Amino acid sequence: MLFLSIGFYLIVRGQGAEKLIPPQAVTVFSINNTDLLQKVSIDEWITYDFMEEIHQELFDKSTDNKTVKDAGLDFDKRLSLFYGKTSSYELTGFTFGIKDQSALFKVFDDFEEVPSNFPGVNVYQSLFNNLLINQNNGLLIRVEPTESFLNQQTDSLWYDRGNLSPFYSMDEDEYMEEEELELEDAQKSLLEKNYFELRDSLQFEFQKKYYAEVLNSLLVQKKSLYSNDSTFRELLTHASAGVFYLDNSRNIDRSKNLWYLKTVLPSLYLDVQELYEGNIITGDLILKESAIQFDLKAAYSEPLGSIYSEMNRAKFDKNIAPFIRANQPAYFSYTINLQSAYEKAFEVLVPILSKAKDPEISFNLLMLKLGNALVNKEALFDAYKGSLFVTFNGIQKVKTRKITFFYDEQTFEYGERETEAEEDMPIFTLGFSTRRQDIPEMILEHLSQVTSKFEKKSDYWIYQKAIFDAAPVFLINAKGMFLLTNDQDLAENHREGYGTEALSKRTIANLKKSGTIAGYANLQEVALKFPSDFLEPSQRQLMEFLRNKTGSITIKSGKTTLSSTSLHVNYLYNDAEKSGKHFLDLLNTLYLLTK
Amino acid sequence: MNKFLILLFGTSLLLGSCIEIIDDLSINMDGSGVFKYTINLSSSKIKVNSILALDSFNGKKVPKIEEIETKIGEFKLLLEKEKGINSVQTEFNKVDFIVKISVNFSRIDDLQTGIKSVIVQLDPSSNIHQEESTWIGWDAKTLQRIVPKIIEERIKADTQTDDELLKMGSYTCISRLPKSIQHSSNPQCKLNPAKTAAMLRVNTFDMKLNPGLLEHSLTLSP
Repeated sequence: MLFLSIGFYLIVRGQGAEKLIPPQAVTVFSINNTDLLQKVSIDEWITYDFMEEIHQELFDKSTDNKTVKDAGLDFDKRLSLFYGKTSSYELTGFTFGIKDQSALFKVFDDFEEVPSNFPGVNVYQSLFNNLLINQNNGLLIRVEPTESFLNQQTDSLWYDRGNLSPFYSMDEDEYMEEEELELEDAQKSLLEKNYFELRDSLQFEFQKKYYAEVLNSLLVQKKSLYSNDSTFRELLTHASAGVFYLDNSRNIDRSKNLWYLKTVLPSLYLDVQELYEGNIITGDLILKESAIQFDLKAAYSEPLGSIYSEMNRAKFDKNIAPFIRANQPAYFSYTINLQSAYEKAFEVLVPILSKAKDPEISFNLLMLKLGNALVNKEALFDAYKGSLFVTFNGIQKVKTRKITFFYDEQTFEYGERETEAEEDMPIFTLGFSTRRQDIPEMILEHLSQVTSKFEKKSDYWIYQKAIFDAAPVFLINAKGMFLLTNDQDLAENHREGYGTEALSKRTIANLKKSGTIAGYANLQEVALKFPSDFLEPSQRQLMEFLRNKTGSITIKSGKTTLSSTSLHVNYLYNDAEKSGKHFLDLLNTLYLLTK
Repeated sequence: MNKFLILLFGTSLLLGSCIEIIDDLSINMDGSGVFKYTINLSSSKIKVNSILALDSFNGKKVPKIEEIETKIGEFKLLLEKEKGINSVQTEFNKVDFIVKISVNFSRIDDLQTGIKSVIVQLDPSSNIHQEESTWIGWDAKTLQRIVPKIIEERIKADTQTDDELLKMGSYTCISRLPKSIQHSSNPQCKLNPAKTAAMLRVNTFDMKLNPGLLEHSLTLSP
């Protein structure tokens, strides 16, 4: 009876503000508000990237010393963050329950009520966002045309009006006579917008159009992600602290890759699209004492599932273990049964491709069939079985060459000479197991004849100046493994593995249970040792974020069936009293990774 | 001259790199002479190559190797057209990241005005101060060398490079004169046995702490 009551309570809870999530949302993070999160101050909340969109609303003195609890939110309802993207617009927003409207408007103090076209719904607008309140549920939403779409539309109108490129160089006017320039200026209408004014106007109009479109589907047609998607509905019944939803079949960035098929071969596109049908990734964030567990489940269609099932019919390759040090800052292994996956993919894809009437695809299909019939698949899949690993070994000084200038003490004339130098470099090892060591050896022998940069040293190879024309890469072909590394210590001293310094038997036993994917990262060590200078700004943002974290992340894959596969991430931290903050940190990391 | 350095490589490549600069000036009694400038980034070539692989670094656009080559070519062509300048030679070692420039000039002022003019032509937004164009003074008796304001500002602004890298970098200032040197204002300045050349070398870390270390004047014997 108790369980029934809890179940009923959760279902009721599930029917709150999240009904206001528009059907166009592709990604949703939904937080089951707990005491932990209420204690995090608003000023801390707004430091998170997922709060960026409503940052402008909160980042003023009205939030000083207030917690989320003071903002009038109803913590018996979920707080959900959503993001969606179509080919022409993006939408982002929050849904939340409201307990005290006057407290809410003390925080959202820039909003003004505007007339509403939707019965029972109050609409408020600020400079950036729209706030809709339906009974005690709130939707904060922003709809913007995508930049590429907006540029395309602006260009189209701009050139249609007979204008030159907006980036037209003024220098070209040098060739015009003074009178010609004056005449051109006189003919220009002062009312005619320049390129950027036109773009701004279009942005405003599209914003209105798509905002109306989103609200119409949500509030007039009563379509929401909740009503449209049973997987999402089921997900909201979970009692975990947070849930994650990503509909990969509607992920516009993924479908961009299928653009060619969609436009040129629509029937084939439909067949391939069918493969992705139901490809929805869901996850639960479970708060534990000093840990957060993230359980991810990817659902897919049966044909795709049949390929994944074959692919994941593999166990952690024990040959890998000796080459991972126990104190490595991070390592990751990926083990698949490549041959089984290939055979299943061949079985699934060939009938789809056979339907295409396109000569190019038909020719490629013929090549695929010929390859399948003629290539020695045993040798191919023995050379690369499908298991690989990557380790991050920290930063090491690597030997490079530099030019130094030397001076004649009599004349101060100078010349140059090449000398040894040392530079800091992140050290990585990538390795895969092989049953055919003769094949990589044959390739390396050949390469050494082509270039003197490949040099054989006893039982390993050095590719001199391989990295940025400065640092060497070592290639080790031993013990059923082929390793590529810039770790000189590994190449010179540990070609047979790290021995007692390698992973413990207990860790290996755990890894063996992990299935296809297994990984570990000491967060702070990785963030501190990884040279973030070399990363793109968004990746650097993530690294900066991790720098203050202590703890570790382990990752392992779970069961794979014909309809789904699972993945488990465990985030262990030391300071249990800050669980709410760690939870938001992890959520933010996921947001940065999936946006 | 440092403005030229930034123009060539962009600020991004210079940040966090160990840099060696040789600033070599030979001057004749009539004020003509040869100016050679060498920039050596080979000690940081992994880092420079890593940065070159990016589109932007620290919010600034990273130039491509071809763009650096083009800029050097443009610099040569434009400088050759300047009054009192002849025989401009440039060399770019793109494996080790070493740039060498050699310029013959008729008068010190021609050299300084010419370089300033080219910098402005290559980068019209360049806000080069008047005092930056006179980092060398010559009156046939005394040669004065000072640190251009822009170098001082740049080094002070550089918070990216760690101190160890800065200590490994150096700025070497060599002056070759037509007569023997009677007096050097800077005790760190080393004279050759014939006393016709002076060399002052400081590491970039000390330069950051005290940009005045490079300032010196050399007085010729009567």
